[in-house]
Amino acid sequence: MASTSKVVSSGDEESEEEEELEHFDDFTLASSWERFISEVEAVCRQWLADGPKNLLEKGAVHLGSSKNMYKVKSELKYLLKSYGMEYYFEVNKSGKVTDWDSIFHDLQLCFGVKEFLVIAPQSASGVVLDAPEASKLLSAIAIALSNCSSLWPAFVPVHDPSRNAYIGIQNLGTVFTRRFEADRICSQVPVKLMHLEGLYELFVSKFAYSTLDISMHIFKVRFTMKLTYQTLPYDDDDIREVDAENIESSEDRGGNSNNKTQWDDDCPWSEWYSAEDPVKGFGLIAIWSEKMVESSLEMAELENSSPHEAEKWILLPNISDGSKGNRIGFASQLSLLVEALDMSFEAQFMEDFVSAVENPSSDNLKSMVIPSPTVLDRVLKDLLLQGVKIPDFSKGEHKSSRYIKGAPLECLFAQFCLHSIWFGNCNIRAIAVLWIEFVREIRWYWEESQSLPKMPSNGSIDLSTCLIYQKLQMLAICIEKKRELNEDFQDCVGSNDQSSAAIKEDDRVVEESTGLQIPDDNFDRKRDSLLTAEGLHESGMAIPRHNGKPENTGSTDQKPSECIRRGSSGAVGSMMLLKSCQSMHAPFTQESPLMTEDMHEERLRAIEVSSGSFDFSAQLERDILSADMSAFKAANPDAVFEDFIRWHSPGDWENDESEGSSPSGNLAVDGLKDNWPPRGRLSQRMSEHGNLWRKIWNNAPALPVSEQKPLLDPNREGEKILHYLETLRPHQLLEQMVCTAFRASADTLNQASFGGLKQMTMKIDQLYLTMASSLRPLQANTGTSETIEDLRRLCVVFEHVEKLLTLAASLHRKFLHAPRLSEAIFSDYYNYYLPKMGMGSPEEVDVQKEFEMKLQVRNHERQVISNMFTLPTANQSWRKVLSMGNLLNGHEPILREIIFSMNDHVNGSHYATHTPSVHQKEIETYRMYICGTSNDLRVALSVTSFD
Amino acid sequence: MDSSSSQSEFEYLFKLLMIGDSGVGKSSLLLCFTSDTFEDLSPTIGVDFKVKYVEAGGKKLKLAIWDTAGQERFRTLTSSYYRGAQGIIMVYDVTRRETFTNLSDIWAKEIDLYSTNQDCIKMLVGNKVDKESERVVTKKEGINFAREYGCLFTECSAKTRVNVQQCFEELVLKILDTPSLIAEGSKGVKKNIFKQKPQADASTSGCC
Ligand SMILES: Nc1nc2c(ncn2[C@@H]2O[C@H](COP(=O)(O)OP(=O)(O)OP(=O)(O)O)[C@@H](O)[C@H]2O)c(=O)[nH]1
Ligand SMILES: [Mg+2]
Repeated sequence: MASTSKVVSSGDEESEEEEELEHFDDFTLASSWERFISEVEAVCRQWLADGPKNLLEKGAVHLGSSKNMYKVKSELKYLLKSYGMEYYFEVNKSGKVTDWDSIFHDLQLCFGVKEFLVIAPQSASGVVLDAPEASKLLSAIAIALSNCSSLWPAFVPVHDPSRNAYIGIQNLGTVFTRRFEADRICSQVPVKLMHLEGLYELFVSKFAYSTLDISMHIFKVRFTMKLTYQTLPYDDDDIREVDAENIESSEDRGGNSNNKTQWDDDCPWSEWYSAEDPVKGFGLIAIWSEKMVESSLEMAELENSSPHEAEKWILLPNISDGSKGNRIGFASQLSLLVEALDMSFEAQFMEDFVSAVENPSSDNLKSMVIPSPTVLDRVLKDLLLQGVKIPDFSKGEHKSSRYIKGAPLECLFAQFCLHSIWFGNCNIRAIAVLWIEFVREIRWYWEESQSLPKMPSNGSIDLSTCLIYQKLQMLAICIEKKRELNEDFQDCVGSNDQSSAAIKEDDRVVEESTGLQIPDDNFDRKRDSLLTAEGLHESGMAIPRHNGKPENTGSTDQKPSECIRRGSSGAVGSMMLLKSCQSMHAPFTQESPLMTEDMHEERLRAIEVSSGSFDFSAQLERDILSADMSAFKAANPDAVFEDFIRWHSPGDWENDESEGSSPSGNLAVDGLKDNWPPRGRLSQRMSEHGNLWRKIWNNAPALPVSEQKPLLDPNREGEKILHYLETLRPHQLLEQMVCTAFRASADTLNQASFGGLKQMTMKIDQLYLTMASSLRPLQANTGTSETIEDLRRLCVVFEHVEKLLTLAASLHRKFLHAPRLSEAIFSDYYNYYLPKMGMGSPEEVDVQKEFEMKLQVRNHERQVISNMFTLPTANQSWRKVLSMGNLLNGHEPILREIIFSMNDHVNGSHYATHTPSVHQKEIETYRMYICGTSNDLRVALSVTSFD
Repeated sequence: MDSSSSQSEFEYLFKLLMIGDSGVGKSSLLLCFTSDTFEDLSPTIGVDFKVKYVEAGGKKLKLAIWDTAGQERFRTLTSSYYRGAQGIIMVYDVTRRETFTNLSDIWAKEIDLYSTNQDCIKMLVGNKVDKESERVVTKKEGINFAREYGCLFTECSAKTRVNVQQCFEELVLKILDTPSLIAEGSKGVKKNIFKQKPQADASTSGCC
């Protein structure tokens, strides 16, 4: 730098006067070179004066790659060229530069500096190509910086941009200067430099005088190393090629036709589709913290050591964003179903969609593909296959499932819906074809009195489910009853009378079979309970409809009429009949008939149109009432209408004396006998002339329940249900399908095990509630075009949750034995992903920012990570030239970073004693950063010297 | 028309619907047709249903007959049963004129509103001809109405069973004469995926 020495000295003079001449700008200096220096100086002074805080306010740019790093830029002109000068600084200046795990700017890591300047020409390459220009530029900055007593290091890029080469300089007070140089070898790295030994020697050679010297002396240097490993991609081509031979047919749904075992084979959704593993792999950083090394031999040993000996392991999960491209999953199919719902308003019947091809206005219908009959056949078989076991209808159910008017996951209708969304591309025509065939199958079960598959044939009708499910359950119950009746009939008629007239017409079968007499004076208890059950007793739902509590039949209360008493369930407390001095018996009665939601509605409407008149509701209850009266008459042969009212509707009987005060129990019976007959009268409404109850009473024959016609006529109700299914309006079907498909899809996903990750559980809970509220308009039949929009949005929400769940499940299975890791990764990803979820669609969001995280691995978790690095197969390892050491289960590091450094004590004998500020300090005299692989090596050197 | 001996085998399923004012004897006619009996019935609530397996025109048929309530308050409940019906029987009482006039004032309109098949066969039935002395609607009037409205016509009595079987038979034969209705009737036929012959569609298999 001889050429600039004059200026340097003048700069020194200036700096001595700095205090007084802080704002001195001397424009008498004529040369453009000098003007350039002062320009640089002015900018640096400004930056120095501002300090990081003010610079931030003035709009410093944040550097995405590191947390606290910012830069400011200024443009300068020298001769005809313009240069950009950038000042990089950190806001939070903590942490040592060798803290590998914090993210640094490349130059910080290379040269062990914190804040720095970079000056580069404003050209396309941004690199100073010619060496004299570079050093001239650098000295200009050095002068300017020393003029303003700044200790900032400054760098200038040199050579080809691909070499990433820099030169730099830093003033360290008045006596020391540090020089920097970095370069890169992109190919043909000398073998010597592939190994730690050779790299050590490279470093030592920078301060030892000869190679001989190296072998003779011991050079103690500091050494630290960071190795990066990468797991093999999970869906490696090699594996796929091998399995490709095994592919048999392309019949499979979703195009996932190869037999390769998928990562998610045991996940609940794998029955329907196979998801891409969102976890693409893992990076692992192993760090050897700083130690003293004194010989090449020691380095050679280090290269043989296993990564398990490294002090620190840091895991870098590689998780695919997933927001790019079309992901196939429940969400994608549900959105197709929503489109089908939108179309469903265009026709009156499902058949219209199938035959609509002739209709010229339905061009888009024509383009809809219906899967081949073979596929239809397979789907129907799958759907109707009766398992050996009765399915568990609460499987997969979430606590909020019931808020969605759908059907239990395992039931026939939910399965129909799930099959539909994966049938072809779930267009309305495909759905129509499947539905029509499905209903024909249902009719078969009905006509043949075969049990419906996947449907409970007992229990009460759950009104929180969708109507189709209620109807199917009702149908299953009707089929069961029809079978019972047929069996009873067969039993009694015997095999010799198969061709009797009754069997021709099944409605008559009912009537005749129920009219059978049981040739026994004593009522058959077993038969009673069989018929009164109505399927309810089994489920423990039997609630006596009447207030009278029967007592044990085995009571001592034997009466003469007992012999003709039939169908009694026991005496009613101490109640006595009015006209004969006998205790009142409660009969076994039929349960009220099961009703689906629309039947309840019909009834309500019927009561409404009759303006709620008392007689009319009685008329609706007529069948039930008449049956109860018949049973009561049978159990109490001497009873009168008033007795029935006293038992059935005590509120309609007004006692003359207050019966309530009389003691109860057997003792009271004797007392009451004296009071017999009880005095009282019927209520106003019951005693009105022409009262319907009395009419029914008069017409009701005395029949125990075993001989009554069932209240629920299975033939009529079953046929009504088939009529409903066969004439269902497309939009009504689709509305119920949408609700049920959403619920069933969520219930399927809900079964995935993901280790109970908190955020995931919360998201699923939220999803259910969102579904419940978005689907509500459909359930209430108030759907509008707005509803369709809402549903489209719901699909997006569903997709987010589904994606997160796939990740949660994938992480869970990979970290079964280190749950802390899966929790931490998921939690980080969740926070990264959350902002994207809020938006309408994933595409709208800025997806530029990749997910990055570094997670320190604890010692006991290392084995789990190590196991992920499965031994590479021969196929996989042949490509790699094993030239670096430190293998992890046969995996070579993909990147090796090393820092060597040499420190020297600054003492009076070597260095200038008149600088008390650095006295007794140890400073880094040599530092070398080496980064690379076996065929790519970058070396950065910094040397401190005494000028 | 013979009653079919086997209950579960049939080639076509036809849905028939009975409409008309309350008390004209719809339920009685149906009972007469299906069980050959006559009882004093109470008014129908909502919809009742009977099945009859018959053989007609050499075909085995299942007739699903919906008997609706004539009372006005049930009209909304019964409207859904017009859908998919291949035959509609309109009944009036020959002894009550208003039941006849209501056919054009009310019931024909209900059909226009709710029936879904243009080709659906309609049949006009004047009931209670056993009460000849009280008759107020003449046979001629019935025929004229039927001609104007384009439907079949008969007079019968559920009580004496006169013409009841013939009435249903005529309707069914007419349905069997109408190809579009036959097509509908065969749609309703049950099918079992596990019991059918393998599908012969080699040309389309393997692609979806
Ligand atoms: N004399 C006579 N009476 C009949 C005949 N058919 C029905 N009835 C009587 O007419 C009354 C009404 O008969 P239903 O069959 O209940 O009439 P409906 O048309 O079903 O009435 P809704 O169910 O209310 O619509 C009953 O009392 C029957 O006994 C018939 O052919 N002759
Ligand atoms: Mg009736």
